[in-house]
Amino acid sequence: MTGVRDGEWAVKAEGVSFVYPEGTKALDGVDFRVRKGEFVAVLASNGSGKSTLIKVLTGLLQAKKGTVRISGRDIREYSSKALYQEIGVVFQDPDDQLFCASVEEDVAFGPRNLGLPEAEVRNRVSTALEAVGAIGLRNRAVHHLSFGEKKRVAVAGVLAMEPSALILDEATAGLDPAGEALMMRLLHRLNRERGIMVILATHSVDLLPLFADRICVLQRGKVLKEGTAEAIFCDHEMIERAGLRLPYISGLLHDLKQYDGVPIEGLPLTVGDARKRLLELIPEALIVGKCLWRDK
Amino acid sequence: MTELFSDIFAGRNDVLTRMDARAKVACAISALLAVLFSRNALFPAGVFAACLSGMFLVRIPAKWISFRIAGPAAFALVLVLLFGFTVGVTPMASGSFAGIRLTLMEEGVRRGLLLGARVLGATSVVLLLGAVTPAHRIFHVLLRAGIPAEWVEIAMLVYRYAFVLLEHAAEVSAAQRVRLGYSHPAKSMSSIGTLGGTVILRSIDQAVRTHEAMTARGYTGSIPFGPMASMGRRDRWVAISVPLLFLTAWLLVGRGQG
Amino acid sequence: MTVPRRGGIAFISCVAALLCFPGRAHAMHIADGILPPAWAGFWFLVAAPFLVLGMRELRIRSGREPRFKALVGLVGAAVFVLSCMPIPVPTAGSCSHPCGTGLAAILIGPGITVVVASAALLLQALFLAHGGLTTLGANLVSMGVVGAYLGSGAFLVARKVRIPWLLAAFLAGVVSDWGTYATTSFELSAALAGDGSMGSLFLPILAAFAPTQVPLGIFEGFLAAGAYRLIRTRRPELMDLPQEEGAV
Ligand SMILES: Nc1ncnc2c1ncn2[C@@H]1O[C@H](COP(=O)(O)OP(=O)(O)OP(=O)(O)O)[C@@H](O)[C@H]1O
Ligand SMILES: [Mg+2]
Repeated sequence: MTGVRDGEWAVKAEGVSFVYPEGTKALDGVDFRVRKGEFVAVLASNGSGKSTLIKVLTGLLQAKKGTVRISGRDIREYSSKALYQEIGVVFQDPDDQLFCASVEEDVAFGPRNLGLPEAEVRNRVSTALEAVGAIGLRNRAVHHLSFGEKKRVAVAGVLAMEPSALILDEATAGLDPAGEALMMRLLHRLNRERGIMVILATHSVDLLPLFADRICVLQRGKVLKEGTAEAIFCDHEMIERAGLRLPYISGLLHDLKQYDGVPIEGLPLTVGDARKRLLELIPEALIVGKCLWRDK
Repeated sequence: MTELFSDIFAGRNDVLTRMDARAKVACAISALLAVLFSRNALFPAGVFAACLSGMFLVRIPAKWISFRIAGPAAFALVLVLLFGFTVGVTPMASGSFAGIRLTLMEEGVRRGLLLGARVLGATSVVLLLGAVTPAHRIFHVLLRAGIPAEWVEIAMLVYRYAFVLLEHAAEVSAAQRVRLGYSHPAKSMSSIGTLGGTVILRSIDQAVRTHEAMTARGYTGSIPFGPMASMGRRDRWVAISVPLLFLTAWLLVGRGQG
Repeated sequence: MTVPRRGGIAFISCVAALLCFPGRAHAMHIADGILPPAWAGFWFLVAAPFLVLGMRELRIRSGREPRFKALVGLVGAAVFVLSCMPIPVPTAGSCSHPCGTGLAAILIGPGITVVVASAALLLQALFLAHGGLTTLGANLVSMGVVGAYLGSGAFLVARKVRIPWLLAAFLAGVVSDWGTYATTSFELSAALAGDGSMGSLFLPILAAFAPTQVPLGIFEGFLAAGAYRLIRTRRPELMDLPQEEGAV
């Protein structure tokens, strides 16, 4: 992380503290930085301050102490139009975000606020809805959508503004396994293909190692640890303290290693990885139809 | 509760939902005016029949229609009886009921029929309009008609969040019920008060969060409504001819006293 | 066309019969088609200045406080939901519903409440077949204008004479509900009387609605008091809302 000049941090929060009016100290001296084009997860259990951090990073709440810089400029220097053109925010509860009567109107809300011509607005609405796989919902009434559909439309509403950074609060909570994978893959694609920086607050650990470049663990408003998925999940004691757990597959391998003495090297975090390691250990004779390339 | 909203049918794709909302509103308003100004029961009854067939045409379930029409129909019946018993001089029929002698008067029955038919006709017009027009289209028409944008914005938020709050209220009251919050009249009163307060508190919190979400998408004080697509030839034709048709029908049938 | 004396009893029994009809009682809102054009127009004219006043207040306050419109929209949705709550009224054997405008008026002020009520009434007319489009003016006068101003007036007077706030909120609920019901009865009687004197119908209609509306009003008082108590204990800072507005 050294050697990065100040301007290259797309988001840089230093010593941020936040206290809610009734006295809850939700953030306490948080340092948090994200490079351009990075995919960073904020991992924490319920009530640890993820949503608060996101609101502070996006200027919706003002930090009591500390500074937040977006692309090198203090967030307070931004006009709201300039700021939200740069960063798109997706909220935890899609009902907060979808306030228009129809899907199309809601997705068009942001582009229209940017003052784009109507043809461009329609174009962006289609593109955004297609990106989240919700083009078929275009003319539906918002209150008729299911939770997962609402969630996707909420993401589309933000994508339509074509931000260079996306900040999402629990983008996958409440989605079914397929929806969860779809959402994560969408974010991954946006990140890798369009270079959009992604900050994802979440408490679900299983999919993160596949997608996140870096993970930042929060607990009671403080940063516990920050690093790559390997670095984070190898620190069991810290993970436990934060009220989290290992991905299930890693938990299995960890227990095999710890309690049964199975000589597994390192700690695989994904199913594909774990499979490779296990195949290395199982005697050739036991494996009937080996097909290593059926990697997911 | 939410499934009773008539715009559950408005998301369908049929002749009437595809029609431009301005054309539909123009038709509905002309029909309402013609019904209100009608002086015989025949005309509003005709409008009622037309709207019913319209609803059947786009396959709105008969059960739903009858549920919605039941109230106005009962009211129409009451109006007939009320005026029949109390107004007029020419007896039509009489009978005694529980020792009270009641006489149905012709003039009163006529007046009751006229009012009852008006109620049925007008209600069915609004019912049809609501069942084939999504709310957001109506908001657009209102804007076009010169209603201030602030008002439309408020109405849109009311519409959108009524569903969220209804769901919330249903959950809270179910949670109260399963913990015996309504087991005694006094408890019910206090539970209902708590329920009402919860709904309002939730609405205020939701307002704060919704405003945050709006700000994060560039809101600066007013929701931008897009333009309406221009009306197709056929819709424009409908918007002009149907009101004219109602006017003609009113002149021919509705104006005369029956 | 006059209503003979004997009509009173028949009238009461007819309307009572209506109220016993299963489903929603149409006590609070007048349906389309009942009001003749002249009366419908008249009530629109009566409601208009209050609506204009409310819109003006809305503009001023949302200019100073950017999130005010979202707040009004959401309180409007809450009023909508409260007025959809079916309440069993044992005395009439039917269901009716509170109107919620009294409570809203003591929270966000009567002027804004009129605006909110107009939006809620339009949506109910269009999508719930509750009330009507041509009777929007009349319903707005009874539920919005009279309900809101009487409710907040009762609250202010009660607080002036140092009645405890819980009781004041109760009174606001009761007075606004009964005010709405009396106004609706007046509107109905005026329209139905035709060329007869309207006084002759007003009392019978009032009497016919009484079995539902009197307990319902008391009920609404409890609703307002309970809700007010909850908001006061959980979020005391919200109680400043109407004061702020008074300073405009
Ligand atoms: N509006 C508020 N007023 C007062 N306290 C709040 C408010 N919002 C959150 N808090 C408190 O701040 C702390 C952090 O809350 P936050 O919503 O940021 O957590 P979170 O990590 O997003 O949790 P979750 O996973 O449940 O969404 C919690 O203790 C919470 O109770
Ligand atoms: Mg959260």
